Amino acid sequence: MAAGQANRLPRGGRIDRSRPLRFSFDGKSYAGYAGDTLASALLANGVSLLGRSFKLRRPRGIVGGGAEEPNAVMQVGEGAAARPNLLATQVELEPGLAARATRGWPSTRFDIGAALDSFGRILGAGFYYKTFKYPRAWWKLYEHFIRRAAGFGKAPDSPDPDRYEHRNAHCDVLVAGGGPAGLMAALTAARAGARVILADDDVEFGGSLLAGGDAIDGAPAMDWVAGAVAELREMPDCRLLSRGTVFGYHDHNFLTIVQRCVQEADAAAQGPARRPVAERLWRVRAKRVVLAQGAFERPLVFCNNDRPGVMLASAVSGYIHRHAVLPGRRAVVFTNNDSAYRTAIDLAGAGAEVAAIVDSRPGGAGAIGQRVKELGIPVLAGHVVSDVSGRRRVRGAGIARWTGEPWSAVEITLRIDCDLLAVSGGFSPAVHLHSQAGGKLEWDESQLCFLPGEARQPHDSAGAGNGKLSLGDCLADGLRAGKAAVEALGLNPPEIEIPATNESPAAPIKALWRVPAAKDADRCPKQFIDFQNDTTVADIRLAVREGYRNVEHVKRYTALGFGTDQGKLGNINGMAVLAETLGKPIPEVGTTTFRPAYTPVRFGAGAGESVGALYDPVRKTALHQWHEAAGAPMEVVGQWHRPRYFPRNGEDLHAAVARECLAVRNSVGIMDASTLGKIDVRGPDAVNFLERVYTHNVDRMKPGRCAYGILLGEDGMVMDDGVMARLAEDRFYLTTTTGGAAQVLDWLEKWLQTEWPELEVWLTSLTEQFSTLAVAGPNSRALLEKLGCDIPLDRESFPFMHVRTANLAGMPVSLFRVSFSGELAFEINIASGLAPDLWRKLMDVGREFELTPYGTETMHVLRAEKGFVIVGQDTDGSVTPVDLGMNWLLSKEKDFLGKRSLARPDCLRADRKQLVGLLSRAGCTVIPEGAQLIERTGQRAPVPMCGHVTSSYHSASLGHPIALALVAGGRGRRGETLFAAPPGREPIAVEIVSPAFYDPKGGRQHV
Amino acid sequence: MSERIARPHGLEAFFGAAESASRDGVEIALLKNRGFLNLRLDPRRERTVKAAEEVLGQDLPLAANSFSGGKRRVYWLGPDEWLLETGAEEAGALRGELEAALAGHHAAVNDVSGGQATLRLGGPEARTMLSKGCTLDLHPREFAPGQCARTGLARATVLLACIDEAPTFTLIVARSFADYLCRWLANAARP
Amino acid sequence: MLLIECPWCGPRAETEFSYGGEAGIPRPADPDALSDAEWADYLFYRSNPRGAHRELWNHAQGCRRWFVVERDTVTNRIAGSFRLDETVPVPASAAEKQPEQGD
Ligand SMILES: [Zn+2]
Repeated sequence: MAAGQANRLPRGGRIDRSRPLRFSFDGKSYAGYAGDTLASALLANGVSLLGRSFKLRRPRGIVGGGAEEPNAVMQVGEGAAARPNLLATQVELEPGLAARATRGWPSTRFDIGAALDSFGRILGAGFYYKTFKYPRAWWKLYEHFIRRAAGFGKAPDSPDPDRYEHRNAHCDVLVAGGGPAGLMAALTAARAGARVILADDDVEFGGSLLAGGDAIDGAPAMDWVAGAVAELREMPDCRLLSRGTVFGYHDHNFLTIVQRCVQEADAAAQGPARRPVAERLWRVRAKRVVLAQGAFERPLVFCNNDRPGVMLASAVSGYIHRHAVLPGRRAVVFTNNDSAYRTAIDLAGAGAEVAAIVDSRPGGAGAIGQRVKELGIPVLAGHVVSDVSGRRRVRGAGIARWTGEPWSAVEITLRIDCDLLAVSGGFSPAVHLHSQAGGKLEWDESQLCFLPGEARQPHDSAGAGNGKLSLGDCLADGLRAGKAAVEALGLNPPEIEIPATNESPAAPIKALWRVPAAKDADRCPKQFIDFQNDTTVADIRLAVREGYRNVEHVKRYTALGFGTDQGKLGNINGMAVLAETLGKPIPEVGTTTFRPAYTPVRFGAGAGESVGALYDPVRKTALHQWHEAAGAPMEVVGQWHRPRYFPRNGEDLHAAVARECLAVRNSVGIMDASTLGKIDVRGPDAVNFLERVYTHNVDRMKPGRCAYGILLGEDGMVMDDGVMARLAEDRFYLTTTTGGAAQVLDWLEKWLQTEWPELEVWLTSLTEQFSTLAVAGPNSRALLEKLGCDIPLDRESFPFMHVRTANLAGMPVSLFRVSFSGELAFEINIASGLAPDLWRKLMDVGREFELTPYGTETMHVLRAEKGFVIVGQDTDGSVTPVDLGMNWLLSKEKDFLGKRSLARPDCLRADRKQLVGLLSRAGCTVIPEGAQLIERTGQRAPVPMCGHVTSSYHSASLGHPIALALVAGGRGRRGETLFAAPPGREPIAVEIVSPAFYDPKGGRQHV
Repeated sequence: MSERIARPHGLEAFFGAAESASRDGVEIALLKNRGFLNLRLDPRRERTVKAAEEVLGQDLPLAANSFSGGKRRVYWLGPDEWLLETGAEEAGALRGELEAALAGHHAAVNDVSGGQATLRLGGPEARTMLSKGCTLDLHPREFAPGQCARTGLARATVLLACIDEAPTFTLIVARSFADYLCRWLANAARP
Repeated sequence: MLLIECPWCGPRAETEFSYGGEAGIPRPADPDALSDAEWADYLFYRSNPRGAHRELWNHAQGCRRWFVVERDTVTNRIAGSFRLDETVPVPASAAEKQPEQGD
């Protein structure tokens, strides 16, 4: 026996005694074994006080053995790798593991908050809503208090070093839970040839069999488990996931499983690059699902039932058999059903003294009662434990005769000393996933639990989760569910015999929802229903007195089933006490709805690999490497990374943009515009189709002609814009905004496929095929001529708003004489693979003209100087072309999408926000984009707003700042003064002007 | 527009990371010098189908999510859309031939060679790697040689084709996503 | 995550699709002939049923076809997927009513 493990049994258990290890809890070092959980190791070391309760700061110890554990919530690990919210019952013990209780502040033994226990009445039901509400001025104080005192652990504040991954999987049958029923179902399905996934949240398969001395076919039950697991592992289409918790059951049989993959110590030894996956999130699409997640034992509700040392009977058995840990030396067992009698036998077998079995049923147990008698264990039938003594550890049980009356006071007639009180209030099937899947729940009055009722999706429940509590029934039910699943899949179920078990018949459970106390229900010591949330019987009674009737409301008012608990431990007791308080049968009160996640899931598992460089796709143009080499900072536009500016000699954004702008205005600049969407439109009905979607007269465009076009939604609002060109009678080339490329194509296809299938038109995206190099500035023509172009580029041969195919520097290109800067400009479209070559040649030849690469920022300034809008920046989905002053684009001779909406009364309002230019009266202030515009200063709040600034820059060409804005009735208000009111700054006086600041007649682009 | 071949300029650098992530069980390789044409036509028009097939010298696969092999691969993309994979130097000429043969038919041929990046994935763990980012059922019985699918891989849209039982897959992705996808593959190739 | 049957490609994950709203709302032949109220009805008003709902989906990451799905808005159960050129059968009756509670 390792030193200090006072409660470790000398023999037995599934721990590996050849692998002792050390771990720490709250800074103190302890010994344990591989195969321990953190909980079992702490119990082995006699650590019974693990933390303080959430609200009342009462001392708490381990209650359960698995996912239902309410108290032992741990913070495991240190620094960035710390994991909050872990249940000690589910943490595998590893060498060097460092755990802290998450609720004690500042420590579990001395807790300032513990004083709150005496203020229990203040912190009663609805304390969230009442206590911390008034007076309002105190809220800051409350918030501080709540943040310090509440919550389960602390999120790490540096990046999580662990690696996570997602895995998609498909199967015929997913079995959730690897106990006797789940294994039986999986075996049945796998033998029938189905693709099977079997997931169990424990380290080993076996479920309840891991914790007991059961026998199957005359041998230890775990032998049968080992055989079944070995067979399943051999099957090629069967995947076994241990340490895998099915935590979400979503629509269309889509389930999510989180699988813990490595032990922390191993991970730390690997460098970050070789670090193995810590957790894997399985996203499973299953044809059929069998839910076999077992049942949770319920505690009994009596005074001070939360004292450390009061444990679930099945958990006590589990610690004895699985971990060779004896949690107490002198035990009392308190039950309303037969199952806890086995715990009494287990305790006696492990050398503990069982002082008494207190059984609320006047008739006591079935056949097992005889075995207990043979062991000399006294049974007090028709009695209850009404109260316990001891504060940091249970010291004794106060016993009373059970009257059958829940609310009247009883007299404690006997006190028995004990350091362990093992309780069983019956079992609640783990119906969480069934309920998540939309399945109904049905109350079973004989077993006193909710059973899975009608399923909404193709799933089934089996075993204890289906109310089959004996081992024989579990195996039979697993077989049945497995057969049903494969039959539904059209496979032949195999012939399998149900393995033999040797169980004796049990006496029925008898309802005992609230044990009466020596005082009346509202004055007696606290009787806990939900340990984690400190919800008591009195809280539920208070909620009812305050008018709450609906179970969902009572849940929220009392916090019953919040936190990691999610209704695992206290739910049924809570419903039943509510029902008794309301004087209604339990099924009439009903239960709450269960939702994912079944157990806490780390954010990292949800994110998977989508972190850092893989967080979102980075789309790169063919010229990206050139931009990077030039040191251009990137701007993210949609998923594209576009160069924002090209700094020279340590220039900042402002200096670089000013230089780039002047270069375009005075000589020539070049920009990578490849991210524009490009769509090839072909077919005899191409004109007809485009006439319906564009607002201008497309049929008047001759081949070789370009036009600026806008697309409206049917609501009349501007959706996208771009240059479109007619390449031939039956062929067009559309460009869209960078962000709109995919949506516009889908939207055009939608009209074509759903509304006008008779039109013979093909749409093909060419966004990726072509790169676009925009060459802009008075020297752009000279540059292209110098580079060598096989067509004449002069104004007469190739006028503004025309398109030509040509060979440029020997490379095939399309040239568009369009301009987004107001200068003489050419947009060169070239196959993306050739684009870097052409760019380099342009840069070489361009030296003579001081050809200047420019980024998105300069492009924005240049277009704003011209008053050209950017859809999505100067528009927001509520702007019509009329608002933008684009009436000239709206054909009067045809219908087009959105046209009718422009005649709606709201679109005709004179006070609609319209596009205008703004100049700062002071002349030198760049108005912040997004600033609201007001009529006058000095008004009292709320100040009416008459518009907002959409674009704002310093214009190097003009020598002063400019801005675009949407202003109510703005076009008729030229010359008037408004005030821009950026938050926290002095209002800025601005003058409404025309949005065309630079070369308003547009002469420069026509040269 | 461009009749000339788009060389995979600039893409090699992206693939380095993915290729070097190849290990036992997973092989990743960039396929160079590929040419691609996008073909649209209505398969109910037999004369049009025939005109295309005569130029191609092989059948247009009409079954959804399949491809035909032969001189070149023809992938089904949709009920009226195909992707022809051919040698880079051949794409321009083939497009000319197809356009000539389909003149007067309701059809469209576009050279999209410059817009694609092509990868070959192989090895016994290739399915596992793909399943980290693809929701398709990649079980050998469900996604067998001769099948292809346009689908999602991580956050990109790809054309995935199963070439043989080894298994070997071809992965075709829009060139702007190539860098992202290669980074993703390099990560997913880790055990 | 739904599993949606593309009439061409078969069942695929919801992430491959984009949603197109209620199906079977034809664009009026002559919008100018409609009163403001009639146009608003076409533009804004949808049936939003509890139960069987015909809706448009686009297999955006696949074959790029738009098609009709009949989905129960209570259970998300999908009764069928139909090509736009198919005759769509009479809608299934509304599914069972079940109150949903928030968390
Ligand atoms: Zn499809």
